[in-house]
Amino acid sequence: MRLGALMLRNVYLKTLRDSRKALFFYSLGGIAIGLYTTLFYPTIRDATGFTDFLEQLPEVLKAMIGDADTYTTAEGFLNTEVFSFMGPLVIGVFAIIAGMSAIAGEEESHTLDQLLANPISRTSLLLQKAAALLTSLTGVSAALWIGLMAGSKIAGFDLSVTGTTQAVISLYALGATLGLIALSIGAATGRKSLAGGVAATVGITGFLLDTFLSVVELLEPARFISVFYYFNSNDVIINGINLAHFFILAGISAAVLAIAAWRFERRDVSI
Amino acid sequence: MTAAITTADLTKFYGKHRGVVNLNLEIRDGEAFGLLGPNGAGKTTCIRLFLDFIHPSTGSATIFGLDSQTDSVQIKNLTGYLPGEFLTYEHMTVFDLLLYFANMRDGKLERAYELASRFDLDLTRKIGELSRGNRQKVGLVQAFMSNPRLLILDEPSTGLDPLLQQEFHKLVTEEIETGKTVFVSSHVLSEVEVICDRVGIIRDGSIITVEEVATLRERALTRVDIEFGEPVTPADFENISGTTNIEIDDYRLTCNVTGSIDPLIKKAALKTVTRIQSGQPGLEELFLAYYSENDETGGSDAP
Repeated sequence: MRLGALMLRNVYLKTLRDSRKALFFYSLGGIAIGLYTTLFYPTIRDATGFTDFLEQLPEVLKAMIGDADTYTTAEGFLNTEVFSFMGPLVIGVFAIIAGMSAIAGEEESHTLDQLLANPISRTSLLLQKAAALLTSLTGVSAALWIGLMAGSKIAGFDLSVTGTTQAVISLYALGATLGLIALSIGAATGRKSLAGGVAATVGITGFLLDTFLSVVELLEPARFISVFYYFNSNDVIINGINLAHFFILAGISAAVLAIAAWRFERRDVSI
Repeated sequence: MTAAITTADLTKFYGKHRGVVNLNLEIRDGEAFGLLGPNGAGKTTCIRLFLDFIHPSTGSATIFGLDSQTDSVQIKNLTGYLPGEFLTYEHMTVFDLLLYFANMRDGKLERAYELASRFDLDLTRKIGELSRGNRQKVGLVQAFMSNPRLLILDEPSTGLDPLLQQEFHKLVTEEIETGKTVFVSSHVLSEVEVICDRVGIIRDGSIITVEEVATLRERALTRVDIEFGEPVTPADFENISGTTNIEIDDYRLTCNVTGSIDPLIKKAALKTVTRIQSGQPGLEELFLAYYSENDETGGSDAP
């Protein structure tokens, strides 16, 4: 059977097929970020006086850049450059767009009715859409990992494979959580912009809260309300993944998905 | 034998807006049933309830003995659905769409090929590039291709030109002959007349009456307009059965005829007739026929 026909076997494969262009470009982006940062790293490492400069920065900036002692190590540098902002941005945007389009997107482009006229339950539709999102997110995350590992080889420095892999897995969990929040709100309400808006708000406020709450000592205990706290408060690429945090993200994902399935089965679908 | 569709006090409100109220319908297995009513009467609501796109506020619907909500997947296995405006993935080719939908059922495309060639549908085109009529053909093919036991057609021929409509009606008639059940909604009497055995008339969310098509036709008012070659008087046309609202203006007679037009024609033939015009009994006239009856019933109940 030709590949095109194979990809029309079910909702899961068809959703992957529909996201092939986005998947291709975001993966390209992932590789580019990986390569760009790793190839740039030796320049920072070899710059004299850079550590002294970092030491003099105000606390807030340090919180954003990362620990000055580790910034000039490969892992510390990538923790700041890739896993603090660029990585979550690319993964988050990809996941949220895929999530909001999954069901609310079908509904708003008037394709959901005819799809549901086929013998497929709404829960099955929801789960297949979620599985497709997780699969394509794996692709983008893997591309970032490949970019990082390849770049470190090309630039000729040692990069912890375990640390990088765990950091990418943690980033994947963040993306999956944001994407599934978007997908779930879309399934529960049928409103694409609401789904994207809420998920983006969770991501953006999560990022800001985690950065700033970590500096304000009084508020530090409140960091747990941010999804970013569970993603990388632990500096995963340096210290390894915090399994409890990982499972909290997985738990949030499963919970929103379960609520969405419950709500999606019970609500009216619009034409 | 289980009925194809049974509704028990099926009611749907969208917030405060009325969808349908207390529908009690029974559509027999193998029957062609028409739901006839003006736009906004609740026809589409009814169909969307059958297909579980929306859930009843109260009451229930069963299809082949299966509950419309809990057994929805099984029901859809037995059902083909064609809406008045077939909306689907614009970026897909006709073939890809049919394959995708077939894969959710029995995966067979033989019948789809057959129907596509019968309706002259190009499988390689993208759906977004198709005209409304051609898009409707795609809808038709996907609804019929799995040989479903029940066909649910919502204003099916709206987008089709008259020739295609004819071919479509032929197809539906063939399906009925092979024992399929057809549920069709329409606001055009002539369409359900061609397809259906029985018709339910719906207005403002309620079923007014369910009748055999033949009975309905008898009840339907036809507007008749006759021009004569000589002046005529009201006395010439007294007491003709089924003829009401007679208006005479020298050379011209207009009236409403219920049932057979024969008595009027026999009477008119006594004079020189230069022209006869008779309108298709419209939905409004049909409603009038039933409403006036309802009013009369209401009147007789009054003290």
